Amino acid sequence: MTPAGTDERNALARLLQRSGEHDQRAFASLYARTSPKLYGVCLRMLRERGEAEDALQNVYINVWRRADSYDAARASAMTWLITLTRNQCIDRLRQHREAPVDTDVLETLVDPAPEPDASSEAGEQHQRLERCLQTLSPEQQSAVRAAFFTGATYNELAEHRSVPLATMKSWIRRSLIRLRNCLES
Amino acid sequence: MNTPTNHEPGDLRYAEYVLGVLDAAERTVLEHEAASDPYTAAELVRWQRHLMPLAEEIAPQTPSPAVWARIQARIGMMPSMPHRPARESRGGWWNNLALWRSFTFGAAAIAVACLVVLGVWPRGPLTPSSAPTVTYMASALIQPDGRVGWTATMDVQHARMIIVPAAPQSLTTDHAPELWLIPAGQKPIAVGMIAPHAATTIVLPPALIARLGTTATLAVSIEPPGGSPTGQPTGPVVAQGSIAAAS
Repeated sequence: MTPAGTDERNALARLLQRSGEHDQRAFASLYARTSPKLYGVCLRMLRERGEAEDALQNVYINVWRRADSYDAARASAMTWLITLTRNQCIDRLRQHREAPVDTDVLETLVDPAPEPDASSEAGEQHQRLERCLQTLSPEQQSAVRAAFFTGATYNELAEHRSVPLATMKSWIRRSLIRLRNCLES
Repeated sequence: MNTPTNHEPGDLRYAEYVLGVLDAAERTVLEHEAASDPYTAAELVRWQRHLMPLAEEIAPQTPSPAVWARIQARIGMMPSMPHRPARESRGGWWNNLALWRSFTFGAAAIAVACLVVLGVWPRGPLTPSSAPTVTYMASALIQPDGRVGWTATMDVQHARMIIVPAAPQSLTTDHAPELWLIPAGQKPIAVGMIAPHAATTIVLPPALIARLGTTATLAVSIEPPGGSPTGQPTGPVVAQGSIAAAS
């Protein structure tokens, strides 16, 4: 963990904690520093600006109300915020997506990823996860990424890949076990 | 497969929840469980730490400033915000703010929220905080009944305007509000269609910015949904106001 990464991590954690105490300046600063990333997550999952902005708005209203439950000892501020954001997006997807998932959404998964900054703490964690992902088969890897970036259910993923539901479940479950072993080793 | 023995076979649900593959009913079950069972809660946190680094691959995107305005309005955030020159600045801006307050409390709160958006936003990671010459302009657009219809806040440096209705405007679906800039002694220039119920952010082209100033006014007229067919207001003017400089 680099000192710069630690500083950033601590700064965000403090802003989040102070937001939990309803410190408006801290909250404004937290928004300025974290909203582009969280909005990126919303856009990636919801694919539509209006929906993504509504989701982002709800995320920060939840942050304002719930930041007092954030525990810096358990997770970094960014992990906590991204979790909150993904949950918000997944809930929306489950509510709205009565119709089968739009295949275009899943097709765009192979976007070339930006190169995360390897010197930051988040970059290091990402590299570690990436190394573990590389140990999976190509189908498994792509199923895990598809799941993470789209919030699609097992059913939707299976339908899109034209594989039986049991196959998709098996790919992902084996991947998760392997990732856990790799990351916790 | 090499399954650890210290968890029950079903423990992958935590990972599946965090990855996002469970359906709505399964998610609800787990959320209830996590609320009362520390083991479940801890497992979810563990998987969050494992998987969230994938989000590093998602490129940041800039949301519209209106999102921050809406958040502030929703949580009742009030004006005394960080490093705001607004309080110190004298003249038109502050007077104008007081003016807004004296009208509708809601309108004033939203207008202030807009100021804060425009003020705070560029101070974020996008712009060096040393930019000393940020110029804001603002206008309260008054209706014929004397009440504030809309408030507009313009960030000249970043070429954008946020215009917010003081209260939702009731219009039939075949009518829509259109915003005009009227330089002194000149014909109205179309700025854009605005939402009757929500904040609208408008990117201002250079030609429009060049004409913004304290001698110009803003006006809202009622037009067909696609905007005035003639390029000039065709329907009644429902609100107008002069522009005040903020700094």
